[in-house]
Order: sequence, then structure tokens, then C-alpha cells
Amino acid sequence: MTGVRVIGVSKSHGLLRVLQDIDLAVEPGEFTVLLGPSGCGKTTLLNTIAGLDIPDSGSVFIGGRDVTNVDPSGRGIAMVFQSYALYPTMSVRRNLSFGLRVRSVQRDEVERRVAWASQMLQIGELLDRKPNQLSGGQRQRVAIGRALVQKAGVFLFDEPLSNLDAKLRMETRVEIKRLHQELGATMLYVTHDQIEAMTLATRIAVMHKGRVIQYAPPDELYERPRTMFVAGFVGSLATNMMTTRLSPGDPPMITLGTGRFPLDRYDFTSAPAGDRDVVLSVRPENVSLATSGQAGTVEADTLFTEPMGADTLAWFTLAGQRISARLDPHAARGLTGRVRLAFDLDKVSLFDPASGDRL
Amino acid sequence: MAAATNQARIGRIGLYAFLVTTCLFFSIPLLVVISTSFKPLSEVRDFSVFQLPAQMTAAAWGKAWQSACTGTECAGLHIAFWNSVRIVIPSVIISVLVGSLNGYALSHWRVRGADTLMLALILGAFIPYQVIIFPLVKIFSTVGIFGSVACIIAVHVLFGLPVMTLLFRNFYVGIPNELVKAARVDGAGFWRIFLFIILPLSVNMLIVAAILQTTGIWNDYLFGLIFAGHNNTPMTVELMELATTSTGVVEYNVSTAAALLTALPPLLLYFFSGRYFVRGITAGAVKG
Repeated sequence: MTGVRVIGVSKSHGLLRVLQDIDLAVEPGEFTVLLGPSGCGKTTLLNTIAGLDIPDSGSVFIGGRDVTNVDPSGRGIAMVFQSYALYPTMSVRRNLSFGLRVRSVQRDEVERRVAWASQMLQIGELLDRKPNQLSGGQRQRVAIGRALVQKAGVFLFDEPLSNLDAKLRMETRVEIKRLHQELGATMLYVTHDQIEAMTLATRIAVMHKGRVIQYAPPDELYERPRTMFVAGFVGSLATNMMTTRLSPGDPPMITLGTGRFPLDRYDFTSAPAGDRDVVLSVRPENVSLATSGQAGTVEADTLFTEPMGADTLAWFTLAGQRISARLDPHAARGLTGRVRLAFDLDKVSLFDPASGDRL
Repeated sequence: MAAATNQARIGRIGLYAFLVTTCLFFSIPLLVVISTSFKPLSEVRDFSVFQLPAQMTAAAWGKAWQSACTGTECAGLHIAFWNSVRIVIPSVIISVLVGSLNGYALSHWRVRGADTLMLALILGAFIPYQVIIFPLVKIFSTVGIFGSVACIIAVHVLFGLPVMTLLFRNFYVGIPNELVKAARVDGAGFWRIFLFIILPLSVNMLIVAAILQTTGIWNDYLFGLIFAGHNNTPMTVELMELATTSTGVVEYNVSTAAALLTALPPLLLYFFSGRYFVRGITAGAVKG
């Protein structure tokens, strides 16, 4: 079992600082996802770990060994690329065995590993085809197979699903998760798709502008985002960000439109001092229609509804700001005019409007 | 409706008339050369050049190949033909392979000053040959290989490299860099990636480059005249000698046969590799 440690890694392309003092520890057997919008440096970080990019400063340890200046081939890693990067002139079998032959692995061992990987990924009948005779999903499997045969301690995935259609993406996602469980190998996975990140990861490192903003398990990331950026980026339904007023006290209160809400169980990083504007992040599933007589509710006007099958997303205006609620389709049917909304205050986050940091 | 089709038909007729005329315009000189080469000398002397041979004979071809006089020797072009072959084959192989290696290095590896190098290469491709002939002569005579096969091969390789490098570099830029990265993770180095992944992908391009270089080098006159030396003169130079050596009557039939013999190899090359040529030119980026 191999862990990965990145210590103080920085890299610049000219004036652009692609990676800024990155620290990251991936425990053996962990599935870490590097998540962030395009241009945040996640692929560069992965390439740095792979040895395909050399950092300007900082070091990379794999399995406790300093590999900062070691070639990709000497790092004990295997990698799956976004474009699959199958060798076009070689058959699937040659593609799988190329790396092993380069390393002069014994012939029967090569055959054994190719057989094992192709059985694992059910690509046995494709072995004699060329990459251009394969579908996208099959190519992806072969690309994963090429990584598997290396029996590496660490697997690196660079947006491996982004060239697949939605259905295949879901199937392959499940497949990768199964592989992680069966092999127990350490995996590092780059994606900009937060659903992929949430479903696959044991821990997610959210990156933005060359920094790791938060490195936490998916549920913690979802429930306790450290910055407004994380809150906004994670979650398949965009969270509601509303400007509200926070007044200190016991308990501290927030004012939103006509409603005042006590935050008696909110875990402040530092006790609030004085009245101030804050950004309240409340996820659509934590907004509900108030039952009659319920305390701590607020009036809002219905805008429109978006039925999504299992749920309906309803949009309201509240004190001049838009807010969405994920409602039961029955409850949302025929929703019009003025309604009263309630919030699950245990699951909200407050941010400083200037710095974007969690309060 | 009928008027429209009529008009279209007239347009078509005009088009074909134009094409046939152009075709004749360009092929008549060639036809004259071919027909002259098959005439006996008496016909060449006494009749119009446009007349077809009354008595077909390949004697002029035989003479051009075996016994026509070039300067003081009278052995035809066959020696020069083999000289040309000895010059063309190594020059083409070396310039194409080194060009593709350069292109691969420039497009897939971080080379210090790669942009400057590219600029220099582009400029190099546009430098008029005449400007550097004299310095090159000096350099080669200092090194001591002036006037040898090695010398003329070196010249052809040198002058071929800028264009070859550009050609291959632009082709390889279309190959996704992830392919090279994948191979590096697999443990392959610079050379292994080149030999096992890049070269097999470049077959069409190699053929195109080889055709370009073969025709270019085969048809070269100036470098052959200056750098090859007396024992290695290529066919083009000997052809010139043959045409300008006159002992009494000018044997136009022999001259035309010699010209055709000299022009034949590149022509045959185009005939047999035309489809690769088109394929190579139209070959786009390699997907996935």
C-alpha cells in the first residue's frame, strides 16, 4: 500500500501561478479526488505527482520515497488519460503489454497480467482489435486496463470520464469504484464534475486558482464548506447564497426579509461581534414549505417550478433575492402566490461577504 | 426549364473545350519530345518536329543510355544514373528520418529555445541557396570531403532539413501529447517512443516526405554540378553535358531520349505512390 505526499509544491507558467504552495497527503488505499473548475491547476498537480511536470519548488513523496526528480516510469504509478491515449497502431493486447515489455517483464507474467486485467474489465474479446475499432466506452476500459497491468501502488486518473456520454459515464464510474474496492490501491482522480467527485472519493481536495481550498470527505465538504467557493461548487443543485444580517447575542440571530432566525446550534469559528452583513448559504433541500403555525418562517413569492421527476425545484423571491427549494412533487404542484418558507438551520453555512471564508 | 438545361450544356461544352485546349497546350511539347526520341536521325533532320516517327526505333534510347558522348567520354547516361541513385537514396533516408526526429523532438518534448529554433528553421527554408554555396564549398574543402558522394549527400541533407523538420513538426503537433505522456508513464524513453509509437503513426507522412525529397534531389542540377565531383556527377548534370556536346550533327533524338530517361524515375515514383501522397496530405490528427 502506497501513500502520496505533496509538500509545498509551486509551479508557474510565466507570470501565471498554476500551483501555489500545495500540501496534500493521500493515505494508502485512499481515493482522493482533485476537484475544481478548468484552469484551477488540478491536472498540473496530477502531472506533477506523475512526474510529467516538474514543480518549480516543493517535493513529491510516493510510498515514503522522495520522487521529485524521478522519471514518471520510476515512480510506481499508473495513469489513465482523458483522451485515453491508446497507442493507435497497436492492438489492444499490445497496448496493455507495452509498458510491461518496456520493463522487460517475463513473457508468461505479461500474459498472465493481460489475461487478469482483460478479465477484470471484460475486454477479453477485444484483445486483437485496434483502438479505432473500439467504441468510446471500450477504449476507456482498455485505458484503465493498461493502468491495471502495471500493478502499481498508485493510480492516477485525469478526467477519465469526460469524453463519455452520460449513461456510460455513470456505468464507468461504478466500475472505477468497484476497482478501487477490489484492488484497494491508492487512487488520485482529477475531475471538474462534482457528482463524480462526491460519488467516488473518500476525500475531495477542492482546488481554486492554484490552491487547495478544502480537503475533506465528501459529506463534510457538502455540509461544512470552508469558503463560499466550495459551497457554490459542490452540490448538484446550486446552493442559495443570500445576503442577510447577523446580530450577535445568545443565540445569535439572522434577519432575512420578514423572518428572524436563531442560530443556537451553529458552530461559529469565532464568536460574531456586532451587527454585520453575512452571506447565508442554504441548500435547496433544506428549504421547505412551512406547516401552519410553525415558528421561524418567512414569507416569499412563488416564481416558477421546475419538475425533475423525483423532486420539484421551486423558485421564490425573498426580500428581493432568489431562492430555490427542493420540494416533494405533490406539495409543489399548483404552487402560486405568497407562501411561507422554513429553513433547516442546522445545515446552513455563513460566510464573510468580503473574504468568502466560513464564519 | 429547357433553356436552362441548354445553357448548362453549352457551359459544359465550353468547359471541356477549354480543358482539352489546355491539355494539348501542355502535352504537345512532351509528345514532340517522346515522338522525336523514337525517330531515326534521318527523320529528325529532314522532317518537321510535329511529324510522328515513320520508322519507330529505340536506337536513340539505347545510345542515350549506353554510348552517347558527354564531354570526352562516350558511355551514355547509365553511369550517371547509378551516381544519382547513390546520391538520392542516402540523402532521402537521412533527411527524412532526421527531419521526423527533429519534428518529434520539437513538438513533443520541451526543448530549450524551441520557438527560436522554429523561427530559424523557417528562415532557413527561405534562404536562397546561391548565397551559401561559396561558404559551403570552403567548409567542405577544409574538412576534405569536397567533391565526394558524402559531400553531395551532406549538402542535400542540410538543405532538405528545414522543410522536412517543419513538415514533420506540423504533422506531429496533431498527435495528442497524452500519447507521449502515456508512453512515458509506461516507462518508454525518447527513442523508444519515437520508434514504437511516433514512427508507426507517420507511415503516410514518411512516404510523402520521401517523395518530395526524392524528386527534389533527383532533379537537382546546381548542387550536383558543384559538390558531387567528377566521378559522381548525377544524371541531370550528365544530361546537360550530353545535350551540349556536339560532334557535327545535333542528335535531337538522343537528347530527347536522354531527357526522358532522366525524368522517368520521379515520374514513376508519382505513378506508384500517388495514393499515399494524397493520403499523407489529407491525413489529419490521430484521434483517441
